[in-house]
Amino acid sequence: MLRLSNAISCVLVALAAAASSSASSQPFENSAIVRTIDLGGSLVHVTTTFALKALKDAVNVYTITLTEEEIFNTSWLEVNVKGKQHPLTITYSGAPAGSKFHNLDVNLETPLDAGATLNLVLETVQTHATWPWPKEAAQDEKQSLKYETSLFVLSPYNTSVQRTKLKSSSPGILSYTTPDNVQAFTLESPVTKSGATVTYGPYNNIPSSATPEFLARYQQPVVLHYNYDYPVLEVLSLKRAAEISHWGANLNIQDDIVLHNAGPQLKGHFSRLQHQTQSFYGRGAPHVLPLFTVQLPPGIRNTYYIDQIGNVSTSRLRVAPSVARGSKNTQNSIMELKPRYPIMGGWNYTYTLGWDASLGDSGSYNSKTGKYIVSVPVMTEFPGAVVNDAELSIILPEGATDVDYVAPFPALSNDVSTHVTYLDTIGRPMVTFKYKNLTNKHAKPIYVSYRVPITAHLRKPMAVATVLLTLFTFAMVARRVDLTIHKTSTKKM
Amino acid sequence: MSEYDSMKALHNSLPPFQPLISVALLPYIALILLASTFTLAFYISTIPKTTIPGKEIPLAITASILGGFGVVALFCTVGVYV
Repeated sequence: MLRLSNAISCVLVALAAAASSSASSQPFENSAIVRTIDLGGSLVHVTTTFALKALKDAVNVYTITLTEEEIFNTSWLEVNVKGKQHPLTITYSGAPAGSKFHNLDVNLETPLDAGATLNLVLETVQTHATWPWPKEAAQDEKQSLKYETSLFVLSPYNTSVQRTKLKSSSPGILSYTTPDNVQAFTLESPVTKSGATVTYGPYNNIPSSATPEFLARYQQPVVLHYNYDYPVLEVLSLKRAAEISHWGANLNIQDDIVLHNAGPQLKGHFSRLQHQTQSFYGRGAPHVLPLFTVQLPPGIRNTYYIDQIGNVSTSRLRVAPSVARGSKNTQNSIMELKPRYPIMGGWNYTYTLGWDASLGDSGSYNSKTGKYIVSVPVMTEFPGAVVNDAELSIILPEGATDVDYVAPFPALSNDVSTHVTYLDTIGRPMVTFKYKNLTNKHAKPIYVSYRVPITAHLRKPMAVATVLLTLFTFAMVARRVDLTIHKTSTKKM
Repeated sequence: MSEYDSMKALHNSLPPFQPLISVALLPYIALILLASTFTLAFYISTIPKTTIPGKEIPLAITASILGGFGVVALFCTVGVYV
């Protein structure tokens, strides 16, 4: 699985040209390409299915082409063989000089012979791909978003038939672009709308399209303007601190979150009266966020939801019973969070959410190597929201050595530093990971392994004992110091 | 990716983390240790003064060690998991 973030822009130096585009030497042919775009708020799921046929023997590298906008917006990408779970290995094979598209090489696990067919599914999650239009909305107006994509799915191979389906969650589609200059590929209507789905296609007999000539001649942007009935959420910054304690057998996770409503800006001022009327009659506007629900791990205790003012009491928590590590978890704890004020379009809300969990639920001990392994989730999934900047700090017990970690996806930066907290003498090692543009597909755990000798455990009691001994020594010395005023005998003159 | 999967499988197969002292016992341990510390401190204060504190020093060391463990257990009991 390759995670492409905005950092990919540094790789956009023209690399060597990829596969040749001569028809007779192409190893594959696409029988059908179907791209389904599930439109959301800040997250857009794009699933592209390639039905390919091999034209030569022993071919095992298939090239997928993505346009520049797609690459910039994609935060998560995975290619599977249809029906199989195991993702295939992908390598970035560069952008041909002067072109506006990028090639990814997919390594098919078993080489195909001429005439063999295969279905590949490319799943991507795009972030920051939609924008609110109109940009401002009053408290009782609807919310609509626009999404832009390119008409054709590019491919270095010939395609027999291709279609793109854009699915909105609500049937209110306000407008969509009608493409022109597609008579070469279809004689029927180039776009059809049915309910909440707009279909561009089917387009037949498309030649190798990963060429600048095709892009200049046929490729065009299509914009869909649709109603969206849920608030569009963005987490501007997420700072997660996971503190591991061996004395208390506890894993404390604390999230500092800045939440932003990325919907249309509020036009006019906020009327509490209108808001109360709307919630009483159940006619809330779609871009207003009065409350939201997050799913926390099972078996947590001492949960706290605070912001700068103090504890926020308008919340409800239902704790799910703890499950043994490794067995399938069917139930999560559900926390309903109601901020102090409803979050209108363009508003922010900053809060802290934290909880304690027993270390036995997420930690294990390998007696063969003498190392402890703890799994720390990178983030808690926010319903339909993108996390712009995320930072995860894992604070290990004092005196931990041989710190190592295995992450599900690479971070933008890793850092090891020292964190000092209660009863610490030498400080605790802290591993910090920084990420950008995380989606709900990134809510996976990182496994950290470390070693802590027993002498490191005894540091804390000995530190407190030293302080107490200092007090006792001071007391012993002080009670032997004579501070009484003695009567001096005066000689009678 | 397979390194991640093998680490995940290893982590799930290993026995769960067990602390040296069971967490459920920590409140009672804190109470007993801190009570002993205070009792010893009071006793030390009643020992008659001699030039060399021959009896006070070993008792002070014992009280400090008991107090050290007691304070750590107290911290964990009240929810500050150190």
